[in-house]
Amino acid sequence: MIRSENGYFGEFGGRYVPEILLPALTELETMFHELRDDPTFWQEYVDLCQEFSGRPTPLTPLHRLSKQLGGAQIWLKREDLNHSGAHKINNVLGQGLLVKRMGKKRIIAETGAGQHGLATAIMAARMGLQATIYMGADDIERQYSNVFWMRQLGSEVVGVTTGARTLKEALDEALRDWAASVETTHYVLGTACGPAPFPELVTYFQSVISQEIREQAMKQMGRLPDEVVACVGGGSNALGAFSAFIDDKDVALVGVEAGGLSHKKGEHSIRMLPDTAEPGIAQGYKTLFLQDEDGQLGDTHSIAAGLDYVGVSPILAHLSQTGRVTPESATDVEVTEAFSLLMKTEGIIPALESSHGLAGGFKRAKSMRPDQHIVINLSGRGDKDIFNIARAFPQQEWSEFLMREAARCQQLVNDAAKENN
Amino acid sequence: MFPKQNDKLQVMSHAVVGFPTLDENEKAIAGLVNSGVNLIELQVPFSDPVADGHTLVNACYDALKTGGSVRATLELCANVSKQHPDASFILMSYLNPLYRYGLEKLFRDAAAAGFKGMIIPDMPVEQFEPHMALLDELGLAPILMVTPNTPDERVARIARSARGMVYVVSRMGVTGKQTQWGDEFRAYVDRIRKHTDLPLAIGFGVRSADDLKALTGTAEVAAFCSKYIEWQREDGSDVAAQKMRALITDAELA
Repeated sequence: MIRSENGYFGEFGGRYVPEILLPALTELETMFHELRDDPTFWQEYVDLCQEFSGRPTPLTPLHRLSKQLGGAQIWLKREDLNHSGAHKINNVLGQGLLVKRMGKKRIIAETGAGQHGLATAIMAARMGLQATIYMGADDIERQYSNVFWMRQLGSEVVGVTTGARTLKEALDEALRDWAASVETTHYVLGTACGPAPFPELVTYFQSVISQEIREQAMKQMGRLPDEVVACVGGGSNALGAFSAFIDDKDVALVGVEAGGLSHKKGEHSIRMLPDTAEPGIAQGYKTLFLQDEDGQLGDTHSIAAGLDYVGVSPILAHLSQTGRVTPESATDVEVTEAFSLLMKTEGIIPALESSHGLAGGFKRAKSMRPDQHIVINLSGRGDKDIFNIARAFPQQEWSEFLMREAARCQQLVNDAAKENN
Repeated sequence: MFPKQNDKLQVMSHAVVGFPTLDENEKAIAGLVNSGVNLIELQVPFSDPVADGHTLVNACYDALKTGGSVRATLELCANVSKQHPDASFILMSYLNPLYRYGLEKLFRDAAAAGFKGMIIPDMPVEQFEPHMALLDELGLAPILMVTPNTPDERVARIARSARGMVYVVSRMGVTGKQTQWGDEFRAYVDRIRKHTDLPLAIGFGVRSADDLKALTGTAEVAAFCSKYIEWQREDGSDVAAQKMRALITDAELA
């Protein structure tokens, strides 16, 4: 189990927030410390994940693809089969149990790809809470289907138009909301970042992933895997997949970051490899941030909105410096290739975020022996990426369909307006 | 220097370094001093100013494009503190730019540039405590913030490290929106007074002469910042300075 020392992991972590947010963070930390060692609380959480999200998710062997690549046996941990389509729901359900205990009636969240926002909107609807989701204006354009569903579920989605208009700005804006609303509102932070206790708390809930992988590996492989691979945006699915293996030194843990277009400044979201990010303190915590000489946080790029983030979990920053986690990266092009390969060979549609884990994992599998086992955490499904994938593989047929559909939708809007007059 | 407890209310105002330009900062500061403002925050622009509302967020983004930085802030202070020896300049910054510069070096260079105090909204008192000996030696005052939800024991801890004045955040939220100055607010100020003999600076939501009148007799300093930056953006620095003079006259603080 991953534990901080007073909120720190090595030199990273901590709680660097405006004074106004401290009481809520201390309250949350106290509650978390009381609950995390209580086996009945963990059972309550696992039961909720089972009855609402279908856990445990399967560990699926990729027979055809493993054979085709000719290296290690590849397994996918199927977080894509969660309700809402991604691992994000685990953390949200867990924090929902905390909200119930706190008695707060409103929740807020930041979201990049919209998966965390969607999971939060689902929890809000189920628990009868009011929810406001902050999302970068550019991310709204990239992931509109999730925005559509969040609004249908009854959540308010606020587009953030400052700065680079992505996840970093959404997080800033959620913190501003929280500063005004902290006494009645819980901030459902979506990844293992931000001020203590969030990195540790989110990791605790996500660790259900690796606890299941351990058990499933023992049953299905007869032993622990040789490697576990996951994509890294903020780091919550990676820490979820890694945490139960931290003390198993023979299990390699590999985090794949977004290599984007190139290693040039502003064209990627790689934080853990040399000559990329540097230690910094922002957004409430200390970690490796992409930044300039003056400490201004930098611009990032990834084909996957969920990995397009300037910082990384302080836990992963620490584990990459101690050498326990091996950082890797995959470019936008490698990612779309891995996406296609999985879809066509195994009939599984992965999210573009998770496809970074696939690209990194496939590469490593090729250099391994057939008697070895590698588990890749498939953190989410790719339905939400239909527009981005269509753009990556341009087709006349799709754009013609969109124009016909747009005309039909407009006609319905016009008809409704006429009736109202 | 900083006022003493029970001194008459004075206005503190603001410059975002690089907004609208580095050259105009000097002119704007001269305008503020001529209007009767002797406490001026020089804000290092930051990409992610989480305690600020939209006025200062947008000013930060603009300022970053025109060359606002830690170094530019130190240079500006060195100039304006010479030009206006009766005014006190306060470094306002989020932590990361200062951390990148190197905190100890920053403290020394800030004191050398003529800064009298510092406001760092995301640097909690625990982070200041190890530096107190150096800060006292340099005469650089950490102006620490308290908020309505800060518990008494923490106010006491903050008061122990606070120097110059205590920044009393008037309400929940970020900068740039109105505050109500009712009984609840006065009880809050009384609560803070029990822990410190330092003068109190009230910030967040001070936007009109009426606000200043409401604070006269309650606090020693009122931070009139976002509204001034709005004037600067809409009307330019000269008109903003005239409006500041009129504000101080209307509030009977001239």
